Amino acid sequence: MNRIFLDVHALQTVPPSNLNRDDTGAPKTAVYGGVPRARVSSQAWKRATRTYFKREQLLDTSELGVRTKKIVEAVADRVTALDPSLAGETALRIADATVNAAGLKTEVPKRKADAAKEGEPAPAPEAKYLVFLSARQLDALARLAVDGMADITAFLKEKKNKDRARELADSRHSVDIALFGRMVADAPDINVDAAVQVAHAISVNRVENESDYFTAVDDEITDAETGAGMIGTVDFNSATLYRYAAVNVHQLAATLGQGLREDEPRTDPVRRAVEAFVHGFVASLPTGKINTFGHHTLPDAVIVKLRTTRPVSFVAAFEAPVRGETGGHVREASERLAEYIPDIERAYGDEDSTLTWVLRVGPNTQKLAGVGTESQSIGELVAAVGQAVAQRLEKPA
Amino acid sequence: MSVLTLRLAGPLQSWGASARFTRRTTESAPTKSGVIGMLAAAAGIERGDDDRLAPLAALKFGVRIDQPGTRLRDFHTAHHGISGKSMPLSERFYLADAVFVAALEGDRTLLTTLHTALGTPVYTPFLGRRSCPPSLPIELSLHDEGALMDILRQVPWQASAWYRRQYPGRDHIELTVLREADEVEQHTADVQRDQPLSFAAEHRRHALRTRVSDPVRIPRPPARQLPRHDPFDALDEESA
Repeated sequence: MNRIFLDVHALQTVPPSNLNRDDTGAPKTAVYGGVPRARVSSQAWKRATRTYFKREQLLDTSELGVRTKKIVEAVADRVTALDPSLAGETALRIADATVNAAGLKTEVPKRKADAAKEGEPAPAPEAKYLVFLSARQLDALARLAVDGMADITAFLKEKKNKDRARELADSRHSVDIALFGRMVADAPDINVDAAVQVAHAISVNRVENESDYFTAVDDEITDAETGAGMIGTVDFNSATLYRYAAVNVHQLAATLGQGLREDEPRTDPVRRAVEAFVHGFVASLPTGKINTFGHHTLPDAVIVKLRTTRPVSFVAAFEAPVRGETGGHVREASERLAEYIPDIERAYGDEDSTLTWVLRVGPNTQKLAGVGTESQSIGELVAAVGQAVAQRLEKPA
Repeated sequence: MSVLTLRLAGPLQSWGASARFTRRTTESAPTKSGVIGMLAAAAGIERGDDDRLAPLAALKFGVRIDQPGTRLRDFHTAHHGISGKSMPLSERFYLADAVFVAALEGDRTLLTTLHTALGTPVYTPFLGRRSCPPSLPIELSLHDEGALMDILRQVPWQASAWYRRQYPGRDHIELTVLREADEVEQHTADVQRDQPLSFAAEHRRHALRTRVSDPVRIPRPPARQLPRHDPFDALDEESA
């Protein structure tokens, strides 16, 4: 089997900010190399990446999934679109039967059921948890529901049709499901293992959280009253983050399957998924307290590696915290990486089969120029990576 | 018998043996099911393939605590895709800054396959949880001949330079090994439910496994023989 891995590394500085907070409202932290660091959880950055796909339209809606409990309504809407005579309760009923046949248990939420007793229209059943389905899977389930509309219960009792429902929920996954995985608690046979591994981002430098004490003035205050309208504190920190993610490209290819359109190369779905991920992961940003801190930044340096051996995180280059004695942390962090990468790759082999790209900004990242092919823009980087991935996939195993 | 040694190091790791629902705890050392699961994934054994899992699960397992790390509690929120409402909160626990050496004893052919698989894995290895990639390649070495405890007495101390500096001026360091009990120890040993029987998504099953704690004395490596990929050794000398 052809092994293809892609790893993405980024150095990104954020000013005072609180991207991802814990239950006390303080930015998340971790100890590494014996000193406290800023941390942004993997799930926060995965959500930012998924949101970025949609917002920047990196992928067509048909290639994206929706994570929702309102799956019955989603299928029913499509049923009505296919056959306008099937609307309202009928559409909901056959959609619900089909969704359940696919293994996704639904129920009418109790709160809504109570409301219905008082003359409200009958509420739609919902899944008990968030279900991640692709647009194509919702379309296919709706078509199956329409096929069996005459007597949906009898139709779905037939083994052939029941199996078909399960199969539809488990094939033609959307790009984001294939990348980030899907977990269905009571139908584990249709789980999808994520092809992407995103590490918690941690700062290359020592970081201790700080607390901002603020007062807000009441504009309408009179001379008779004194003091602030309100007081409070906001915790924050600032950091240069090392971010890392690895894409298991051969696994992604297996989940996505080959291209379904005759007029495109069979590697196209994987190439588009990889391009969207690299672009989305690099350029996205968790939005925690973004209006308070306005921490809109982009990475100073991005390194992408395409390998035939296991991906490698370079976080150990920052186990001893960067001190930033020359002002800022990016310069020293870049120097560390430029020294560490060839060192670890020599020690563990296979530099020959590894392709490397670099996207970097400013003189502080100068030392990284030598670690790979330089790209001038994120677009150029993403296109080059996508093309190389497609070429590797084309190669016989 | 042959022994395969692994280095489990990374900023975060999480090895649950009894975690359920919204509270996901971690043991203080890697679990057998976690390590076997990682090896099975690297070798491309699918989740439900219990027959191919069985020989891996039968390997004798031990783990040496080279750098214990600290416990980290992570607070996790999720939001509804459409309404934006909060979903149940969950707590996840991690070990931060820890380093372990795990060892597996058994058939040489099988261990050779696993050793190779770690270099070119089918599914990407991680340290107990997908968001915890290793900071260094996991495979340490394959010893053709030897017993698990003997090998764990020989493998050099893998702790980070900053951690080793906390124990200056000694020529030996005492580390703890957690291993499976011998037959004579069966009744006095600790038990933990982390002997994997099946990783099938529908019915994940684990049996009880014995665990005995043994101290081992490891020679402290001279400063010059620190791992060569640690270029910062000189930087922190006085501040550590």
